[in-house]
Amino acid sequence: MLKFERVTKYYGEIKAVEEVSFELLEGEMFGLAGPNGSGKSTLLKIMLGLIRPTEGQILVNGVQLKDKDWREFRGIIGYMPERVSFYDNLTGIETLELFASIKGGSLNNIKDIIQRLLTSDVLARKVGTYSKGMRQRLNLAQALLNDPSLLVLDEPTSGLDPIGTRLLYDILDAVRQRKKLTVVLSSHMLAEVEEKVNRVGIMKSGILKAVGTLDELYRGLNLPLKLIIIVTEGGSQGEVLWEILKNEGAVNITYGSGQLTAELPVENKLKMLASILEQKDQFVDFTLRQPSLEEVFFGIH
Amino acid sequence: MAFTEQAYKGTTTPFKALAHKEFSDRLKNRWVAAITVGFALLTIVVAYFGSAASGVVSFRNMGATVASLTSLVVYFIPMLALTLGGGVIADERDRHTLDLYLSAPITAAEFILGKYAGLAVSLAVPSLLGFSIPGLILLVKSGFGSFGSYVVFVVNSVALGMVFLSISFLTSVMFYERSKVIGFTVLVWLFFTIVYDLGLVGMLIVTKGAMTPAMFVVMLLLNPVDVYRILNFTTIGEYSVLMGLSSVDIPGFIRPSVLWAVTAMWITAPLLASYYLFKKRYMA
Repeated sequence: MLKFERVTKYYGEIKAVEEVSFELLEGEMFGLAGPNGSGKSTLLKIMLGLIRPTEGQILVNGVQLKDKDWREFRGIIGYMPERVSFYDNLTGIETLELFASIKGGSLNNIKDIIQRLLTSDVLARKVGTYSKGMRQRLNLAQALLNDPSLLVLDEPTSGLDPIGTRLLYDILDAVRQRKKLTVVLSSHMLAEVEEKVNRVGIMKSGILKAVGTLDELYRGLNLPLKLIIIVTEGGSQGEVLWEILKNEGAVNITYGSGQLTAELPVENKLKMLASILEQKDQFVDFTLRQPSLEEVFFGIH
Repeated sequence: MAFTEQAYKGTTTPFKALAHKEFSDRLKNRWVAAITVGFALLTIVVAYFGSAASGVVSFRNMGATVASLTSLVVYFIPMLALTLGGGVIADERDRHTLDLYLSAPITAAEFILGKYAGLAVSLAVPSLLGFSIPGLILLVKSGFGSFGSYVVFVVNSVALGMVFLSISFLTSVMFYERSKVIGFTVLVWLFFTIVYDLGLVGMLIVTKGAMTPAMFVVMLLLNPVDVYRILNFTTIGEYSVLMGLSSVDIPGFIRPSVLWAVTAMWITAPLLASYYLFKKRYMA
């Protein structure tokens, strides 16, 4: 849908984004992770047309975006910035009406979504009386006003309680079931990103260090799988299993509180599991976990 | 009414939405009402007590009132207009709403002109009401003499507000930081209301007659405050009181139409500059 080709952005001498190339696929939820100052915000701003790249090009459905095309492109974007305080003197409804006019959208298009996000009493109140969570809900509503095809969410759950967070993702799921909505989710909440996105891009010092599904990323980094075995009481105290794991190439093997933990190279997974399963009497249960996004993130940083 | 039964208002154009928001904000926070009352009180006080120094307290004729009001309004209206428009970008940036506007399919012209129109109406309405309502009282008390000059004064005061509103937009777009906007706004106000004329008179003295009176008057046209003054005084036929110009020959081309054209240029030039600068800086 949207393709970045060797996009670079300088601020004076400082390279905020360096030769970033990746493609957003239609209908996917794409996560953008990276520490503060990694160039995430600059990349989002380039995506929104708020700043112009110094070098490189951006293509929409294979066609390069020229200056005159940006306005039309913005018409299909919904943007939920991280911090927006809106206007304290306007009610929720007045705020949405204002931005509907600005974006060429309509409140009637997303009436059901507005209803789910904020009650009519809250909407009739001035935004100045809103909690941070209410403002974020209003923020999501305004982002959806123009029925976007590309939704850019910058730390969307910041300030939301667990109910609000679940509601936000439920609404996104509902919209995505209705239409092919591409979502870009930028967040520091790696566990949340991991759970929700189809693919993720990890930024470091202005460079997009890795892009892909979580599976592709940890394989690319050669990160090990984590095995946790609950050992049978009164048995060999894990010694038999320990030996098997060691012989099969597992590392960082530890034993404590009836649990044996080890890290397995991905390529040995099936062979090692087969060996362990031959020792059924030695364990009660086991869990094999692939690396989390957090581990991938720290593997890169 | 339950939310489900509620019919939302239809949407309008970005220009109208922004203009409406700016004006309704100032109606709601009573800015328009306060300035209207302020101008009305100022007019009545000047008209009634204007001759107190000569021992007379009563409503003066409109020409004298215009002369007195002009010398006060040249300070108030620029200050109000500069304050009104100076924060137009910084406020949006502080609220993080600027990125919302810029990520929407809105043009630089719609944004700048929408904001300008809303603020211009916010300034024009209290100027018109605040000066016109006491003007009717003056009309009753002192008759139709110099009524035309009073009408010109009111319209010209609205135009002066528009000029400094345009300048304030340019200031707002020029600087990213609010503190710099405020600092520059103060400098602009000081320059046009005080420093420019002092400098001009100083130059006249230093050059010892090298600057002809005609050149001097042309230099005055470079200051919108002086254009405002000249236009008001032209209509009441009191050039002699204009900044010691009693012995100055006013060039023939300094007609009201020229002065209105210069005022129009002072409105459009900074506004156009702010549009181009905004487009360059903020619209990728």
